[in-house]
Amino acid sequence: MVGLVLVSHSAQIAEGLRDMVGQVAGEDTPVTTAGGTEDGRLGTSAPLISAAIRAARDAGADDVLILVDLGSAILSLEVALEDFDAAERSRIRLSDAPLVEGAVLAAVQASIGASLDEVAEAAAGAATMTKVPVS
Amino acid sequence: MPEVSFVVLDPSGLHGRPAARFVQVASRFESAVMLRSGERSANAKSMLALLSLAVKPRSEITISADGGDADEALAALAAELGETVVPTQGGTPVVPEGGNPSPP
Repeated sequence: MVGLVLVSHSAQIAEGLRDMVGQVAGEDTPVTTAGGTEDGRLGTSAPLISAAIRAARDAGADDVLILVDLGSAILSLEVALEDFDAAERSRIRLSDAPLVEGAVLAAVQASIGASLDEVAEAAAGAATMTKVPVS
Repeated sequence: MPEVSFVVLDPSGLHGRPAARFVQVASRFESAVMLRSGERSANAKSMLALLSLAVKPRSEITISADGGDADEALAALAAELGETVVPTQGGTPVVPEGGNPSPP
């Protein structure tokens, strides 16, 4: 099963999004969060990201797709990935998708038992997703 | 290819959780499942495609399935939609005995 790790500079964004994703896609898909810094400020934290990846795996995720809110999270993410060996890293993928839309699409795709490739592709679709109906 | 049509009663149309449930149920079947709304049609196994249809409340949707388990897929999807839709025949809502197709 594919799990999601939601990385945001804000703990509230990450946790709120996890609630929303759980309500839309169901609670069977492991979704964990790394929001803010360890001392509760806005920012990202390599140890929190690393812990969130491990938590997703502990919750049953064989593969993990990571979604981030802003590109500056990537620096922390790269440090966090140093905690994992090559075999583990091969089952961890980073998505370039917009966080909210990507998380929803990925969670629905993961909930139907899709592969990491399929879940990553679903998330990537969020980049071109229309929200205002064409009329 | 079997198909069924409904008028959507859910005040939010087909979004969020209902759309996700639709994808989850459709994905249990081997048949290709399409959902048509107006002139546009979407793969019912794709959340992105369903959301992009932007199905509005009180609009008509048609679900079609193509494959060995098409009838089962349509029955399961109709059951999933439940009371959030009213079946239609030729664009006219089928009013159940003593029922009222209007949303609350």
